[in-house]
Amino acid sequence: MNEDPGVRETLERDPTLTPCERREMFGVLGRWLGAALAAATVSRAAEPAPAAQGRQRKHHYGMVIDTRRCVGCRACVVACKAENKTPPGVAYTVVLDGALEPRIGDKPLFMTKPCFHCENPACTVVCPVGATFKRAEDGLVVVDYDRCIGCRYCITACPYGARYFDYGDDYPARSDKTPYDAVPSPEYGQYRKREPGRSPIGNVRKCTFCLHLQDEQGAYNRAAGCWPACAKTCTGKAIHFGDFMDPESEVSRLLRERPAIRLKEEMGNEPNVYYLL
Amino acid sequence: MPYDFDETVGRRRFLRTLGVAGAAAGAGALAGCTSRIGAYQHDIAASGEGAAAWGREAGEWIPSCCNMCGGQSGILCHVVNGVVEKIEPNHWNPNNYSNISTDFFDGYTEEYGCAEGGALCPKGNAGIMQLYDPDRVQRPLKRTNPRKGRDEDPGWQEISWAQAVDEIAAKLRALREGGEAHKLLWWSEDHSFTHIQDDFCQLFGSPNYSNHSNLCDVSRKASFKMAMGDDRPLSDFLQSKYILLFGWNPTSAIKWVHLPRTLTRGIERGARLVVVDPYLSDTAAKAHEWVQILPGTDGALALALAHVIIREQLYDHDFIANWTVGFAEFSEYVKDKTPQWAEKITSVPAAAIERIARELATTKPACVDVWSGPGQHSNGVQGGRAIALLAALVGGYDQPGTLLLPDKRGNKHAEVEPDATAERTLDEPRYDGVKDFPIGHKSGVYGRCWERLLAGNGPYQPKVGVCVFQNLVMSGPGSSQVEAALKKLETLVVVDTMVSETALLADYLIPGTVYLERYDLNSHWVTWPVLGLRQPVVKAATRQTSPFPYQGGIFGQMAEYEFVTALGRKLGLRTADGTDFFRLGPASRQPIEDLTAWYEDYLSNELQTGAPKMTLAQLKQLPGAVWVDRSGTKYRKYAALIPAAKLAKAFVDGDITVDGTAIYDKPKDQHGKRIGTVIGGRPIRGFFTASGKVEFYSPSLIGKNDAHGRPVDPLPVYRPRDWQPDAEFPLYLINWKEASHTHTRSQNNAWLREIKPSNPLVIHPDTASRLGIENGDEVWVESRHGKTRAVAKVTRRIHPAVVGAQHGFGHWRLGRGAAGVGTAFGDLNTVAYDALSGQGLHKEICVKVYKA
Repeated sequence: MNEDPGVRETLERDPTLTPCERREMFGVLGRWLGAALAAATVSRAAEPAPAAQGRQRKHHYGMVIDTRRCVGCRACVVACKAENKTPPGVAYTVVLDGALEPRIGDKPLFMTKPCFHCENPACTVVCPVGATFKRAEDGLVVVDYDRCIGCRYCITACPYGARYFDYGDDYPARSDKTPYDAVPSPEYGQYRKREPGRSPIGNVRKCTFCLHLQDEQGAYNRAAGCWPACAKTCTGKAIHFGDFMDPESEVSRLLRERPAIRLKEEMGNEPNVYYLL
Repeated sequence: MPYDFDETVGRRRFLRTLGVAGAAAGAGALAGCTSRIGAYQHDIAASGEGAAAWGREAGEWIPSCCNMCGGQSGILCHVVNGVVEKIEPNHWNPNNYSNISTDFFDGYTEEYGCAEGGALCPKGNAGIMQLYDPDRVQRPLKRTNPRKGRDEDPGWQEISWAQAVDEIAAKLRALREGGEAHKLLWWSEDHSFTHIQDDFCQLFGSPNYSNHSNLCDVSRKASFKMAMGDDRPLSDFLQSKYILLFGWNPTSAIKWVHLPRTLTRGIERGARLVVVDPYLSDTAAKAHEWVQILPGTDGALALALAHVIIREQLYDHDFIANWTVGFAEFSEYVKDKTPQWAEKITSVPAAAIERIARELATTKPACVDVWSGPGQHSNGVQGGRAIALLAALVGGYDQPGTLLLPDKRGNKHAEVEPDATAERTLDEPRYDGVKDFPIGHKSGVYGRCWERLLAGNGPYQPKVGVCVFQNLVMSGPGSSQVEAALKKLETLVVVDTMVSETALLADYLIPGTVYLERYDLNSHWVTWPVLGLRQPVVKAATRQTSPFPYQGGIFGQMAEYEFVTALGRKLGLRTADGTDFFRLGPASRQPIEDLTAWYEDYLSNELQTGAPKMTLAQLKQLPGAVWVDRSGTKYRKYAALIPAAKLAKAFVDGDITVDGTAIYDKPKDQHGKRIGTVIGGRPIRGFFTASGKVEFYSPSLIGKNDAHGRPVDPLPVYRPRDWQPDAEFPLYLINWKEASHTHTRSQNNAWLREIKPSNPLVIHPDTASRLGIENGDEVWVESRHGKTRAVAKVTRRIHPAVVGAQHGFGHWRLGRGAAGVGTAFGDLNTVAYDALSGQGLHKEICVKVYKA
């Protein structure tokens, strides 16, 4: 896949690395950094921060996306923009439409691709300032805009391209100061109004599973419309969202009933977004 | 920039944003195997004030209907501090979920709507950027530069609404008083505020009200009308087991947003999907089988499929015997339409045709449908008719899982009675001569209009044109000719939200509304009666007062219906009985000064006299502001007896005891609508054809001529389309629609531009390599009428003999984001229309392609 076979062989032969460390190497480094870091011994295990202590895992949110139902319309991309007020060039979900080689006529396979909120995220540990982390209570991977210094290490670290940098560009409806410019982004329940030089401009941004729609207990309420925007709008009803800790949830049931894959499984990030083929 | 995921890079802008060295430095923080959950976690403070001011509980959620395209899906608009902050699907509107009532009601609750929630396409989500497009026209503009053209600055002068209404009314009054009301041509979009415009033209005295449909699907309408008597049968994908689509892309050219769900659910429930198309459309990407066909040859394929089905006696004997006529003539006609014959025409292998025919005929129920792919060719009507009859062969009408007869009872348009002055000019022939088209449609024939304006050979010389919510120049084949034709008019009034390429030629440009600023009633194209309300969700801060009181959109502009009403009032238009039509509330029968209130009353009248039997205020109170008839989808409607009460008021066109006698709801000269036929001695609905049955052969067409004077074939005879590739222009050029844009109107929408910024020319790798063209190359696309530049996209998704692109790009105006982006193909053709239906022929072009 992405790794240079030479690097892979080097790493696999290195007796100083545990299988787990090796897997992480693949996941985090990819082809560019593998060789450079092969010699480095990396051992600092992250300690749970004080704020996370005492937080029990109450939810395990994730998605099961049915590729047979995805028609590649990109309603999810636009609904996400509308919900999170992301600027040009920042999209928390995108739709892949690559052709799969053996299929005739360059027939595309449509897949919407949000952040996977990995169980073992590669992006959080590279943050030099602890701005991005995986929440203990529900597993969501988040960014604290007040801490993020915009170094973008996390963008490089993510093997899935799920993180975006906010360069401060704006759509004409904002830059030309239409009434829409008054609308803030609800992300993280912060309702920040977009202003030049202020966060999240200059920060790294990513899908939050629309966590601003959670209630105080961290639960979503589909009937009240408090549900990730992409899943709500999906024209093929391909995006299933829910809690893997609840065995009766739609996502748990789908994983029991249907074979599913995760992307770049070999990297060891353990994504929480599964695809039904 | 589109969001392409580049596998070789792994993330967007990687190289631009970060060097390898920086990344390596960051890797110092790399963790080991210990859980990363909760590491570095800290509180991120939320803002309670922000949530109170802007959260989901703040402001209002107003139910309405979308109009980003003609699909009219239901929406819920979150309006906070007078701003539309978010648009979401309306779960109470079947159009957002299913066109089959049992599926819609399964798990439906009044609190939540349909079980899984409705859907909304990208365009619907992007309505906010349409509303808040800073390039919108905000105030009436008057042209000062008499020269008109693509490169001419109109020299717009801003004028008041009172002045705009006064001056335009004065021009119209001069026409009417001079006995020339028929010299007004009127073009409108076909879903919004059409009734009021029709009323205006009637009361004014112009027979020339026309609308968009003839650029869209009137050939499909004609095909089905000839075969089975209905304009628009609707596919039931959900309950089908074999779905055969000719040139239709329902999951991408979405229109009704239930389509992606109902089609993929149909497949999930076991249907096989076969898509016939020169391009592997996004729908073909979901298909089990893509049948790659040469453009405009679908009719030949359908006849060959019919040949195999009849030869092997696989047809639905019962349906053929009881509900069709002309089967013997048709069987005789297709006797030599063998798969080998069709292979030479279509490029589809004969063996595939044999196999598909057997699969189609032996997998029940089967749904066969066709839309504008084959339709927008000069042989599109008869080709579509052959496909409609293929559906009949396999019993494919009005049974679950087939093509269903629509039941579209909704609001009722009360016909107006024009006064004597108007009657005199209404007796003049329509300028476009739509009556010359044997299967013509009330939407008219735009192409004929342009042709006659240019040649000056119509029945009279029109003087004033009014164009509402249409971009005539970009929408039709022959853009330059359309421009030249419009320049022949003394006065052109355009109502639009943007300075479209058509608006650029206007003498008066009147700001229009985005659908979030206005009313409409939408009887939806599901299979049972459903009517959704569109209502203003944002409005002007203060009510407007001049030239009449009205509410006003975000710029204080009139809605299109208010502008028409204001003109009607200025002109003092009255009905035959002297009623001041545009002032007297049609429901209340009271004078209403406020234009908005008057139109609300107008809509109430349509609702009360139509199927919902309620007022506008009552409709607003329904969940999702949508009226859903609980009786639901009915099947085999053609076999239903006409109820005695209905029959008692009906007009029987002959002897009720004689089979074949047609039955109308009222006398034909009073615009009576066909409601049935005497079949087997009983008055039943049947099919609305001359015989009351599906017609494989139509004797009623014998002796009729098309608009070019050629006899109409009573059988669905295959003839090659007029324009064929030759040595100089060897490639077919086609176009299509995708989920990302609507016609030529959405390309300035910033969010939609982001998911689809341009329209590359799709070309097959074999063709490209023969021409020395590589992916991303700039190329010339040249026809015998003109040439244009495009960017090549090399993919096997297209037939090697064909090139094509998404329609709608290549604007020279519209807005700052749209201008100069992508390619328009309108100049590669001249004005072209089909001689049976008047359909605009967008897909019949031959070109050569070479490196720029």
